[in-house]
Amino acid sequence: AMAWRAVSRFAARLLLPLPPRRGIASCIDPSTGLTEEQKEFQKVALDFAAKEMAPHMAEWDEKEIFPVEAMRKAAQLGFGGIYVKPDVGGSGLSRLDTSVIFEALSTGCTSTTAYMSIHNMCVWMIDTFGNEEQRHRFCPSLCSMEKFASYCLTEPGSGSDAASLLTSAQRKGDTYVLNGSKAFISGGGDTDVYVVMCRTGGPGPKGISCLVLEKGTPGLSFGKKEKKVGWNSQPTRAVIFEDCVVPVGNRLGAEGQGFSIAMKGLNGGRINIASCSLGAAHACVLLAQEHLTVRKQFGEPLANNQYLQFRLAEMATRLVAARLMVRNAARALQEEREDAAVLCSMAKLFATDECFAICNQALQMHGGYGYLKDYAVQQFVRDIRVHQILEGTNEVMRLIVARNLLQ
Amino acid sequence: AIDDDCNQTGQILAAILDWPQGTFVSRLEVEPQAQAVLVEREVDGGLERLRLKLPAVLTADLRLNEPRYATLPNIMKAKKKPLEVQPLEAAGPSPPRLRLLRLEEPGPRAAGAKVASVPELLDSLRQAG
Repeated sequence: AMAWRAVSRFAARLLLPLPPRRGIASCIDPSTGLTEEQKEFQKVALDFAAKEMAPHMAEWDEKEIFPVEAMRKAAQLGFGGIYVKPDVGGSGLSRLDTSVIFEALSTGCTSTTAYMSIHNMCVWMIDTFGNEEQRHRFCPSLCSMEKFASYCLTEPGSGSDAASLLTSAQRKGDTYVLNGSKAFISGGGDTDVYVVMCRTGGPGPKGISCLVLEKGTPGLSFGKKEKKVGWNSQPTRAVIFEDCVVPVGNRLGAEGQGFSIAMKGLNGGRINIASCSLGAAHACVLLAQEHLTVRKQFGEPLANNQYLQFRLAEMATRLVAARLMVRNAARALQEEREDAAVLCSMAKLFATDECFAICNQALQMHGGYGYLKDYAVQQFVRDIRVHQILEGTNEVMRLIVARNLLQ
Repeated sequence: AIDDDCNQTGQILAAILDWPQGTFVSRLEVEPQAQAVLVEREVDGGLERLRLKLPAVLTADLRLNEPRYATLPNIMKAKKKPLEVQPLEAAGPSPPRLRLLRLEEPGPRAAGAKVASVPELLDSLRQAG
């Protein structure tokens, strides 16, 4: 109870125009180096996170609520298709703007923001690789979040080895017939539009195509809702295809282009997930800072303890380092530089690992209280733990970087 | 405006337009039939209620409502709005709005009176009104 007011208070503190209050927490100020316009975006997102998300974060986690109304409110502000082109309802912003926004929203509820980033990634894929008819058919209602989207790549037999996926899409006239199943699909069962990577050709990445399916298609069904350690404000289910018929007009791009579409989507997705980790870590550094000043032991506030001072300084330093990695990768992706993909992998690897350590240390600093669900810090820890695993495990991130160095 | 806290813009506008003004409005009720608004103003002594004939100039106190969120598209449009900078001379001379009626020094301080006791003080206070 009391700790949740602390969550809203720190979130509110984040949205004050940080006047030079003797430089309190100014070293981790996420608005440094941003343009005036980006600071405005950040302010709206922080405001929204503090007022519409933070007060409900615990309840959404405990009751496993998929906060459709709150996300639709966010979509009204333009958060449903942040880097999607405006002619189909998107906001047309850059990857850096997007990173700033997700980082800010994540301070309110990391799990919900992470789902929103997945949704955004799917809309971008349709916007970028779809033809005009597909863009206008799917994107407007996705940008407004009248409909929600899911990204379907992983299968029970293919996670890191994504290109070995087995879901088949057999061409029959002007349709594809899908058979197979996807695992761990965020939003699965509750969302309306599914971007599915499936095999239309031979083995390996070149045989994979990308199809868009809608809920209600005969032959499309879902597994049970998974019980997770975190990310509880979004349902996770298996998605099952049994002779599921999809018109050829639902294919994004050419046959055999699906894997490339999936990977390009993930470049942005990795920046977004890393940004969500940044937001959670920032929130936790502020929570830890507050706790250290308030909690007394041995007759003094914990903040007088040099070990804890040094620990907090290390957390802040690593947070800023991670943020710079992520923003650097965002710029590279926006400029379509050659090194963009590997920078995105590095940023995802570094930020998700560092931010988890930061949140975990913040929990430790709270002592026993950190372990109670009354305090927000444990939810940030639980929610960002999975960022080190999905959208490409941090081990696969290392593979990508090593390949770039040694190929 | 909350950026400079001058507390002048609404009042000046009302004076120029010669419209009624309700400033520091913390509650607002529109009376469409009467073409009027009922406002509650935050003043030093508390709250003041006024009925203003429309059209009127109102300025908002923070207690009036919750501001809407700016949307991303609107933020971007705001950046593109033209901002014309005009030199002060272009606005032309503005007629003086203040008339000096008189100017005087405050009167000299009158001498006081000393009293011998508290009851005498109370007496003279009562007599003085």
